[in-house]
Amino acid sequence: MGLSLGEKNYIKGGIADDLRCDGRRRLDYRSIAIDTGVIPQANGSARVRMGSTDVIASVKAELGKPSSYRHDCGKVSIFVDCSPTAAPMFEGRGGDELSTELSVALERCLLGGKSGSGAGIDLSSLKIVEGKMCWDLYIDGLVISSDGNLLDALGIAIKAALSNTGIPKVEAMPGTSAEEEPEIDISDDEFTRLDSSKVPIIVTLTKVGRHYVVDATIEEESQMSSAVSMSVNRQGDVCGLTKRGGAGLDPSIIIDMVSVAKHLSQQLIATVDSEIYAAEARESSA
Amino acid sequence: MEYVSPEGLRLDGRRPLEMRQINAEIGVVVKADGSAVFEMGNTKVIAAVYGPREVQNRSQQLSDQALVRCEYSMANFSTGDRLRRPKGDRRSSEISLVIRQTMEACILTHLMPRSQIDIYVQVLQADGGTRSACINAATLALADAGIPMRDLITSCSAGYLVNTPLLDLNYVEDSAGGPDLTVGILAKMDKVTLLQMDAKLPMHIFEKVMQVAMEGCRAVAQYIREVLLENTKELEYRRGL
Repeated sequence: MGLSLGEKNYIKGGIADDLRCDGRRRLDYRSIAIDTGVIPQANGSARVRMGSTDVIASVKAELGKPSSYRHDCGKVSIFVDCSPTAAPMFEGRGGDELSTELSVALERCLLGGKSGSGAGIDLSSLKIVEGKMCWDLYIDGLVISSDGNLLDALGIAIKAALSNTGIPKVEAMPGTSAEEEPEIDISDDEFTRLDSSKVPIIVTLTKVGRHYVVDATIEEESQMSSAVSMSVNRQGDVCGLTKRGGAGLDPSIIIDMVSVAKHLSQQLIATVDSEIYAAEARESSA
Repeated sequence: MEYVSPEGLRLDGRRPLEMRQINAEIGVVVKADGSAVFEMGNTKVIAAVYGPREVQNRSQQLSDQALVRCEYSMANFSTGDRLRRPKGDRRSSEISLVIRQTMEACILTHLMPRSQIDIYVQVLQADGGTRSACINAATLALADAGIPMRDLITSCSAGYLVNTPLLDLNYVEDSAGGPDLTVGILAKMDKVTLLQMDAKLPMHIFEKVMQVAMEGCRAVAQYIREVLLENTKELEYRRGL
């Protein structure tokens, strides 16, 4: 990001004075626009725009085999792709580093630990036949335009896509022996909606100078010393934490950032839920 | 499968010489110099243009004209079966090359020496005719970026199934195994810049199918002109003219 010294000082000074370049206060979010059902052939999809940041998330459900140590659960995996339309540096393999960073951060925040505890999605609801067949959810994120705060935007898009997801109803034929592949009948028009009420959203606080801002633009992110991303669910529980950036932070500052993020998240969850509801209403009436 | 019914209707209810619904929008990616979304039926493509700007790789710099680069990528969710495509696989490279050569022919590159123009095309939904949709989107994005061009390039595909020339094939018709012809033309000059076909056709039928595809290209050009005119009116309005 090519910024002159004057521009850098303007950004830092503005943040110190609680007046950012676009007129927002430090803890104000940009307006969020959500559209659901944008990819008809996926099981669920959503597009989120925050300022100039534009991301699409899609959820596809495919039949798979449960893993050997968790017989009664399905599997979820998240892949993020940074399209070169967002920035020329994402051409070829240039976007791989950022894509991997975002994918791993999202998996950490939304999917819980290795044992599956604390996951935002109830994996046991994806089981079809215990030990033999389950639903594999593939969540794909695509960054079309980047103006900062990609992690938060992708988190909201994934939550909206999951609430838009319909898993086809499956009838498993009873009476098959333990060795055979079970026979199943997948319904074409009956779907069960995925329960996304426990899916957390991610709040990223970016530290610039001595203050932190929420929903940083790409210019503000270039001036950051460090950032803390936290995922919080509706109950106010912290589901995942990532600290990025080179500068060290005093532990008391991190505790403070966590409490600020928790406070902001409740408001954000309320906004996001109402936007998702409105988007679904628009989609069903269209 | 009955690709053309006895009443003359295709699988999606279209007539043989009927194109799918087209929809285009300019200025979708705010950060890019020019961008556009182009939809042909269920095929949806975003194109973004960055340039003219300084050449990133000095060794590729051309002293008398601009360097045009292009990358084509497909989203993981773009096709019916979710496929994890590696970047730089052969099909993507080939289509990137095709789009680059087609657009390079119409950009007035000699006006911008020692600079670089990047065209990035991202497929959001693929339902046949992605090559054509990409070229149409790239034309709109270049116009939005204000890059000087000789003419508008538009593209359309056509095929031949059940002894009928069909305009604008979708994915199912494309996979039927019949010939698939993609044509790109310079709209006003009425000259062909891109011509690709697979499978085989007798010469007299080939001429018929090509005429059908060119009619499709002209229809797309008409629509693109309308979209650009609307956009210019909008810009004039915003400037208070």
